[in-house]
Amino acid sequence: MSVFSSLGKAFVNGLLLIFSLSAIFPIVWMIYSSFKTQQEFTLNILALPEKWNFSNYVEAFKVGNLHQYFFNSVYNSVISVVLIILLGFVIAYMIARFDFPGKRTIYILFLFGMLIPIHGLLVPVFIEFRNLGLLNQPITLIMPYVAFGLPIVIFLFESYIKQIPREIDEAAIMDGCNTFQIIFRVVFPVATPVISTAIILSFLTAWNEFPFALVLIQNAELRTLPVGLTNFNGQYTVNYPQMMAAMSVTVLPVLVIYLAFYKKIIQGMTAGAVKG
Amino acid sequence: MRAKSAVRPSNKKIYLYLLPGLAIYTFVVLIPLFMALRYSFYKWSGGPNLQFIGLDNFVTLMQDKVFWISFSNNLYIIVMSIIGQIGIAFLISVLLTRSWVKWRQFHRTVIFIPNVLAAVIIGFLWSMVYNQDYGLLNYLLKTVGLESWISPWLDDPNIVMASVTVPIVWQFIGFYLIIFMSAMQNISEELYEAAKIDGASGWKQTWYITLPMLKGTIKVAIMLCIAGNMKIFDHIYVMTGGGPGYSSTVMSQYAYDVSFDRFELGYGSAVSIGMLILSLILILISQLIGRREN
Repeated sequence: MSVFSSLGKAFVNGLLLIFSLSAIFPIVWMIYSSFKTQQEFTLNILALPEKWNFSNYVEAFKVGNLHQYFFNSVYNSVISVVLIILLGFVIAYMIARFDFPGKRTIYILFLFGMLIPIHGLLVPVFIEFRNLGLLNQPITLIMPYVAFGLPIVIFLFESYIKQIPREIDEAAIMDGCNTFQIIFRVVFPVATPVISTAIILSFLTAWNEFPFALVLIQNAELRTLPVGLTNFNGQYTVNYPQMMAAMSVTVLPVLVIYLAFYKKIIQGMTAGAVKG
Repeated sequence: MRAKSAVRPSNKKIYLYLLPGLAIYTFVVLIPLFMALRYSFYKWSGGPNLQFIGLDNFVTLMQDKVFWISFSNNLYIIVMSIIGQIGIAFLISVLLTRSWVKWRQFHRTVIFIPNVLAAVIIGFLWSMVYNQDYGLLNYLLKTVGLESWISPWLDDPNIVMASVTVPIVWQFIGFYLIIFMSAMQNISEELYEAAKIDGASGWKQTWYITLPMLKGTIKVAIMLCIAGNMKIFDHIYVMTGGGPGYSSTVMSQYAYDVSFDRFELGYGSAVSIGMLILSLILILISQLIGRREN
């Protein structure tokens, strides 16, 4: 019944393939170019490296302090994710299970956090942190990452917890659990699917975050990967392959996580979008 | 009745549990919001001298050409994204429901990849694509004999907005694709069966069934598009820094420039407030338009 002839179908299939490839080609290009020498790169931008050499990576780590940025990114992301999940789960549990004065207000405040452009808060957050001496500390970035990670996670958790039968809470009470134990030993394990989605999503957001890391951290030793890349760019304006090596290192964990968990990531993104 | 259940902890206990999360959220979102409001009434360069000037900053803001240029640049990106992301994503998601389309799973997986990458990475990557001498784009144009098309993509104020918008649109097509595909899965097969009996062809089904059934999803998508593009910063900061001149400055970049290059923190706060108000207005308008249609 379709209006397409088989020739038309082949054409559309071809177009789609080109489109898909264009979505990953720049990334593939970046990765293989990072194994070329500067000279090789300028000679032919598109060609594969003749010899796959790792010198750009060695240099990026040695001269560019990449390991330091990498460590900082891991540190900030992991701690933020743990806090986002724990704090978000408790809040979501309370909102999903009980009525209490101010519940609607709290709910709306978090909803608000998903709608406002957070970069509008860059300036006042900077002022506040400066006044309190909170710039350039190991915990500096954790606070905004947690705050901006909470809304979406709370909404994911809240709708999931609502579907978990209340009977399991009541059974736990019978067995002598207190509220803390109910949340973390009974409901938390049941919510594992949505928790893993939330972990991946908040990790990606924290790992990729740029403006707050740019503004709140001036100390080179505390810089994260995305900001670390910018001073790479200045230092080696012309050395593209080296820059690409540093970028590949930044991208690699994200790509691995995506390919391993893409179903969960996609689930989470759509759930967040439909809720938001 | 539910609230009176035996499981229920006291209000005090509930608040105690909410406290840590709420405290961080208040500290980073709510207090800064009020601080921005307060500082927007001052002339202040960050030092100990604060000078109360009432609404002067906002009067300046209303007449500040650069602020409105940056707002219109945000609008440009929003409009292009609504057309480019939502339009292309809808088209592809319709195609991916057709059984004769090959490698559907591959397309879905691959088109989403740019989405999970840092905006900074996308920005750097595309600066390399656009580079005059070592850029992929000019190289490809040369290869296919379109040398006359070669341009200083990020240095020409007339085309720079188009150049910086393409990567932004490109990055997030996959996001809307996934939203649309999961919404389409929820449309009942029976509707299509019925249409088939009535003799409606593939594209007619799309137009008369898929599109109307997806109205709600499209509305959400448009709202996300507006909210997302009002906070665009990283891409532009990395690719052009808002230049040349102010030709690719967006609001968040302008707030950044005013506050951290010129150190006019009072005025920078006013720019931030202006930005927040304009985004909320846009989101509100999009919601109202959606509601009237219902």
